[in-house]
Amino acid sequence: MSFFQGLQDSAFTEWFLGSPSIWAYPTVLTLHTVGMAILVGASFVINLRVLQVSGLIPLHGLRPMYRFIWIGFAINLASGLVLFVTEAADRVLDPVFYVKLASIAAALVLVMAVKRRAIDPPASPLVASGLARSLAAASLTMWTIAIVAGRLMAYLKAK
Amino acid sequence: MGHFAAWLESTAISKTLFDISWLWPACESLHFIGLCMLIGGAGLLDLRLLGMFRGLAIRHVKALMPWAIGGFLINLTTGLLFLVMQPHLYLTSGVWWAKVAFLGVAGANALFFETRLAVPALALDPDAETSTVMKVVGGLSLFSWFAVLYCGRMLPYLGTGN
Repeated sequence: MSFFQGLQDSAFTEWFLGSPSIWAYPTVLTLHTVGMAILVGASFVINLRVLQVSGLIPLHGLRPMYRFIWIGFAINLASGLVLFVTEAADRVLDPVFYVKLASIAAALVLVMAVKRRAIDPPASPLVASGLARSLAAASLTMWTIAIVAGRLMAYLKAK
Repeated sequence: MGHFAAWLESTAISKTLFDISWLWPACESLHFIGLCMLIGGAGLLDLRLLGMFRGLAIRHVKALMPWAIGGFLINLTTGLLFLVMQPHLYLTSGVWWAKVAFLGVAGANALFFETRLAVPALALDPDAETSTVMKVVGGLSLFSWFAVLYCGRMLPYLGTGN
C-alpha cells in the first residue's frame, strides 16, 4: 500500500492538484471527458446500429469507427493514469473504481466481439445476428455502468 | 444576472431540488451519457460531411440523428436542472455564457444544414466526395460541440471568480 501512498504524496501530485494552472488538473480532467465522448460515442454508434435501432447503415462501412474507439481509449488511458497516480492510495481501496475498470474492460471486449461478428465480414447482411445484438446490448450496458461509476467516484473521494 | 440568480435560488423549486442529495450526481451521469449519444451520432454525420467514411451514404448516417437529438434533449433537461439548483454557478460565469454561445453556433449550423444542405447531401452516393460547404458545416459542427464540452467541463476552473 505504501507504493500507492507514495504516488499520492509525491511532489508531482502536490504540483498537479495544487497548481493554479488550468493546464494541470483541469486540462487532464477535460481530456478524460473528451476521450470518453470519442470512445463511448463511437461505441454507442456501433452498438445502436447492430441493435437495429438506428436505420440501415451498412455494417461493414462502420469499420473505421474502431479507429476512434482506440483514439478515445488512448486519450483516456493516458489521462486516467495521471488522475489515478494523484489519488492512488484512495483509489486502490475504492470498490467503485474497480467497478469502473471492470465495466470498461467488459465493454471493450464486447464491442470487439461485435466487430468480429457483425462489422468485419465484407458481405455482412443488413441485420446482425441475434448473438451480435446481445453482445451490443451488453456493451451498451457496460459503458453506461462505467460512466455512472466514474461520476460517482468524484463523490466517494476520501477527504 | 446576479439578481436573477439570487431570485431563482430563493424559489421553493430550486431549494427543493437542491436538497435531493442524489439528484445532482444522477443528473451528471445522465449529462455524460447524453453527451456520448450526441457526439457519437452527430459526430459520424460530421465526419462523413468532412469526406471520411466513404461507403456510407449521408441518408444512412442521418438515421442516427434521433439518438443525437435524444442525447441533446437529455442534456438540455439535466442542464436546466443544474441551472435551477445552482443559478449563481452558471449565470455569473463567463465560461457558461461562452458555452451557451457555442450551443448557438452548433444550433445555427445544424439549422443551416437542414434547410440548405440536406437535400443535396441526402442525394449523394455512398462513395461520393462532399462539397466544400459540406466540409465547412461538418467541421464547424464538430468544433462547436467539442467547444461546448470544453466550456462545460472547465466551468468550475475558469471564470467563476473563485
